[in-house]
Amino acid sequence: MNAAGLSADIRQMLAGLTGDERPLTAPESTPLLRDGLGLDSLRGTMLLAQISRQYGIDIAAEDLNLDALASIGALTDFLSRRLHLG
Amino acid sequence: VIKALVWDLDNTLLDGVYLEEPEHPPPVRHDSAKILAELAGRGILQAIASRNPPEAGEYAARATGHDFAAIECGWGAKSAAIEAIMSELNLAPEEVAFTDDDAMERAEVGYRLPDVLVLAPEDLREAASWPEFSPAEVTDEARRRGELYRQRRARREEARAFGGSRDDFLRYCGTRVTIAWAREEDLPRLHELSERTHQFNSAASAWPQPAFARLLSSSEHHVVVLRLADRFGDDGIVGACVIATSEAPGSWRVPLLMMSCRALGRGVIDALLAWLCRAARAAGAAQAAVECVLTSRNVPLRIALTSAGFRAGDGPAPPAGSTVIYRHELELPLPVLPDWVTQWPDGTA
Repeated sequence: MNAAGLSADIRQMLAGLTGDERPLTAPESTPLLRDGLGLDSLRGTMLLAQISRQYGIDIAAEDLNLDALASIGALTDFLSRRLHLG
Repeated sequence: VIKALVWDLDNTLLDGVYLEEPEHPPPVRHDSAKILAELAGRGILQAIASRNPPEAGEYAARATGHDFAAIECGWGAKSAAIEAIMSELNLAPEEVAFTDDDAMERAEVGYRLPDVLVLAPEDLREAASWPEFSPAEVTDEARRRGELYRQRRARREEARAFGGSRDDFLRYCGTRVTIAWAREEDLPRLHELSERTHQFNSAASAWPQPAFARLLSSSEHHVVVLRLADRFGDDGIVGACVIATSEAPGSWRVPLLMMSCRALGRGVIDALLAWLCRAARAAGAAQAAVECVLTSRNVPLRIALTSAGFRAGDGPAPPAGSTVIYRHELELPLPVLPDWVTQWPDGTA
């Protein structure tokens, strides 16, 4: 997998959680929580669980501040670094 | 602590097999009906998992006159039905008991879900006296738990059909969050929340009731309760927090913050955190600091804190069981207090 493929996978995952297609095309800077994609804490937790299953990366353990949830781009960058996609 | 009991229907809750004669289904077993009513009265949710058509569940609800918190009727494995119930009610396996007259079904559930307490119907009477089934004090919120889950299902069905945003839906429902200083009569519910909440609980263990009682009379602490209601029903007290106001100059320290999962998705935790920041600032504090013991289950609370602008430090999280402090500097702009927060203590927001 390359970085573009990862971004597409993440956006697909987000679309599944929000139940609409906005995450597929929203700008990289779109926040995941609140006014961005509107994920609440429950959906945010589901996202972390899906990521852990799919990529074996436990964001809750690796990122105390959960900065990886700041935006679509932040999440993709975080996973991309952990997966050494460069 | 067992929070939900899942019933099989045929020859367990019902005195016979539903599909033998669906036009004249069997009556409810007397012994089962008695235990169901008794456990429901203690605040334990009742649910159904049955290999039957959905009508069988509806019939059992009518015949017992009970508001079941979840009903799973179908032809899949019982363990899958119980997993669906756990997900619907936001429960962990160790919080669930299951009773079925069929030893094969009990074995299947015991194998797939080893943490679920599996009981034969004849063992229920004795099990009802075990401490797992015996909360110390039964609050009004606990007694009405089945009814509240039914209201929740109705609310969720409307939410599905509703086109607008979550906030629009909360307004449409007439959501009302009331924030108040806790009083003497709230003590049992405070203790119960501290014992029953995990996903939105900043402490890893329950606080005894006397600990809350001491804080109520302390001039250096606030104990705050949140009530939630909308046009579907009144949920009573769904959240609370404890604030130490004068330990560190300029800072409000929060050693305990908790919310019931029942209030999930209804803006309550956001309202509490927004109020906390505003009230702290109104009292002259420069910082709000929530102490959070990291557990495998309170990640949702961490997301809510992050989402409200609280920060705990860069890098990886320390191991489970560690205490971290989520801080919010109280410069403007502060998190917005949603318009459905209709009341808060005078002068605090």
